[in-house]
Amino acid sequence: MELARGVGHRADLFDPASLAALGRIEIVARWIVDGFMSGLHRSARKGFSVEFADYRPYQPGDDLRYIDWKIAARADRWVVRQYEEETNLRASVVLDVSRSMAWSGAQMRVGQDATAADRLTKLAYAERLTAALALLLLRQRDAVGLVRFDDKIRSAVAPRARKGQWRRVIAALEEPGTGKASSAPDALEQAARLINRRGMIVLISDLLMDQPEVERAMRALRAGGHDITVLHVMDPAERELPSSGEALFVDPESELMVPASIADVRAAYRNTVEEVIGEWRSMFGSLGVGYEVISTDAPFGVPLRRAFAARQQLP
Amino acid sequence: MSFLAPLYLALGAFIAVPLIIHLMRRRVGSRVDFPATRYLARAEKEHSRSLRMRNLLLMFLRVLALIAIAAAAARPVASWVGAGHAPTAIAIVVDNSLSSSVVVDGRPLLDQFKTMARSVVNASTSADRIWLVTIDGKVQGGSAATLRDDINRLEPVAGSGDPAAALARAAGLVRASGLNARQIALVTDGQRTEWQRVPPIVGVQLMLYAPSTKPPLNHAVTLADARPVRWTPRGAVATRFLSRDSTSYRITLNGRTFARGTAAPNEEVIVRAAPPERGWVPGTVELEPDELAGDNVRHFAVWIGPAPGVAISPAAGSFVKNAVDVLRTTERVTDGKDIAIVPGDELSTMPALILAPVDPVKLGAANRALERAGVPWRFGAKHTGEATVRGAGLDGVTSTIRYDLVAQAGAVAETLAVVGRDAWIVAGGRYVLVGSPITPDATNLPIRAGFIPWLGDVLTTRLVGEPGQVISAAPGEQLPRPRWADGSESSDGQRTPLGETLEAPTRSGVLFLTRSGRRVGAVVVNPPPEESMLERFTPDELRDHIQSERTLVAATPSSWATMAFRAAARRSLLEPALIAALVLLTLEALAIGARSSRAA
Repeated sequence: MELARGVGHRADLFDPASLAALGRIEIVARWIVDGFMSGLHRSARKGFSVEFADYRPYQPGDDLRYIDWKIAARADRWVVRQYEEETNLRASVVLDVSRSMAWSGAQMRVGQDATAADRLTKLAYAERLTAALALLLLRQRDAVGLVRFDDKIRSAVAPRARKGQWRRVIAALEEPGTGKASSAPDALEQAARLINRRGMIVLISDLLMDQPEVERAMRALRAGGHDITVLHVMDPAERELPSSGEALFVDPESELMVPASIADVRAAYRNTVEEVIGEWRSMFGSLGVGYEVISTDAPFGVPLRRAFAARQQLP
Repeated sequence: MSFLAPLYLALGAFIAVPLIIHLMRRRVGSRVDFPATRYLARAEKEHSRSLRMRNLLLMFLRVLALIAIAAAAARPVASWVGAGHAPTAIAIVVDNSLSSSVVVDGRPLLDQFKTMARSVVNASTSADRIWLVTIDGKVQGGSAATLRDDINRLEPVAGSGDPAAALARAAGLVRASGLNARQIALVTDGQRTEWQRVPPIVGVQLMLYAPSTKPPLNHAVTLADARPVRWTPRGAVATRFLSRDSTSYRITLNGRTFARGTAAPNEEVIVRAAPPERGWVPGTVELEPDELAGDNVRHFAVWIGPAPGVAISPAAGSFVKNAVDVLRTTERVTDGKDIAIVPGDELSTMPALILAPVDPVKLGAANRALERAGVPWRFGAKHTGEATVRGAGLDGVTSTIRYDLVAQAGAVAETLAVVGRDAWIVAGGRYVLVGSPITPDATNLPIRAGFIPWLGDVLTTRLVGEPGQVISAAPGEQLPRPRWADGSESSDGQRTPLGETLEAPTRSGVLFLTRSGRRVGAVVVNPPPEESMLERFTPDELRDHIQSERTLVAATPSSWATMAFRAAARRSLLEPALIAALVLLTLEALAIGARSSRAA
């Protein structure tokens, strides 16, 4: 109950596994967004376009700055100016649902890492993050879509800002996935097609894929004027191997097998992971793509803030 | 380097464990799903060289540690360069038995042994304790210079010596030295007959040299006996030879050759003679000299004199008379009055062979006659029934009728035969007394084959001859003093009073025993016939035969000399091996620790 009280304050800062255990994905996502929003400072940016289209009645929650005060004075009713578009951004979340994402450190069964047992899989973490991010954008009147992919595109929800869009996104998240490979370029291309004009693309993936192909896809998207943010989801056990043990490590997607003594390779592995992250960061940086490594034991507020910051930099 | 417990080297087989772990480690462990396996593969690929080097280093450290532990368990010993040798107690046992005097390549084998012994003495230091032990068990100690002189003076003994006693004395000396390094340096010809029985040597290292070459062929006189010991004056010499072919021999008496001949190998030859010499005289049987000269001459001693005259009482019985007639025809006795053979009741002169009277009524007269003649024995109670007689030359003799022989006060006599616990034949200075009549109804003695030789010995040796006899002895043998002698006379005429014991001469020859200045017997010293058999153990056979705990066998005389003091020059490597194992295990732990800390 302490957690429930806490959720009422800042759910975005709670342990993700504990938070996920409290309810369904949409409930958790709402808590996260509510907590996140309550922690935001009011932005100086308006966020609405200025092309007027119509009026509509005021609804609680509408920004008071858009109330037409003249009409309110004349007719004693409150209306809100409605513009050509209700959204000022079309965003698409591209979510990797390949088999490598359906993994957490709890499945290693080597070494001793007590904290890994309660950890969310990368996919579970990414789905909750996706739901929260979609809700956050929708609340900003942005159009949000979703593309799920593994070795092929599993589901695609076109960006919309209308009511019910978030439900569609949530429903899409429950569709099957976990294929044997990650085909990010196709998914990114599909997301760009769905946005239909310049927009924002958030790729949530463990990036266990070939870097050159991703680079080519990113380059194409950037050429199309899209703003891209990559949230690189990693389980802590992928960054730091357990302290000891000896095992035959098998890639669930490619079936690549590597027998290793953890004590022997631990330091070398750590260095290699840092090198890989550095390579991704360097590549994305050269393309102007935002990049953040997200650990699955980090509160959802961390990646959410990173994605929101990227959004705020856009018009 | 060598090992005191080499079986523990089998522990070295455990070095297979780290090797197997090293080779198999890439095939063990559980299967783990791990999406970032591609990073792992890349890490291994990029760091494979350092990983392989580290694993190899660990493997080598573990292998070396196991080798060090196995070596330590096997108790290694080795010489430390430049360490010299610690103070050592060393007994040099030189086999100077007769067989060591065999000439090989123009010089006696013993000369080679002496050279080897000197080399060991020369290698000693003032801190060492060193003894020279000869094969007869005699010990010489002192400084190196003294021992060198003793070695130079060393001569072969006439016999085989006592190798077991020599080794036992040598082991006792070095063990009692108080020094930790103890050695026996044995140099011998490895003669098979000499090294038959050797006690195990415990707690002392034995360095051994024995020639691996075959000994030269040898011929020898293995038997030379005067038969009988008293010639009257006729007698015979029995002799036998060890040789491969027929051998020419010569027999001498008192330095005079009285017989020559040729004998087949190992055939007993009897040479009869009636020489003119009188009294105790020495004799020899000789062969032509060969490589081993010490056994080419064998000595004997014989008493030569006239046959005694014997007077027989008719009451002594027909069997005794017939026996004396036989002795008379062989010229061992003659008719005369030197010796009387009478029943006790007819005793009037001495010396005499006194028989029990056939008629018990005459026992009283017999006892009175004994008293008059000064014989300190009396006939006692009569016993009938067959009883076994025990005595020299009287095998199978029984008594049916006999009388107790009762000793009188002050009786000093030799019991020649008994029935049960009772004396049956006793002998004094001038008499031999028999407890039965010598008739077939009283005893079966007169119808036994040994009767005539027994009677001849009694008449010619005990009753007329001097009381002495011939004693055969090995060189240097300790003998009990014969009661019938009070002095000795060597071959060069030197006379010596006898002590409590009599030590036989160390050289072959005849030592006469005297009583009141007259020769009454002789000690005849000859090498044991086995000493002439020169067949040798091989060095390895000899090592196995001696059964020492630690035996080093030298292949050559020079290597034998270098083995000396090796026990002190060789130090235990146990501690260094343990330290090495500890250091290696520490390095292994450090390597693992470093790896773990890097991993952390």
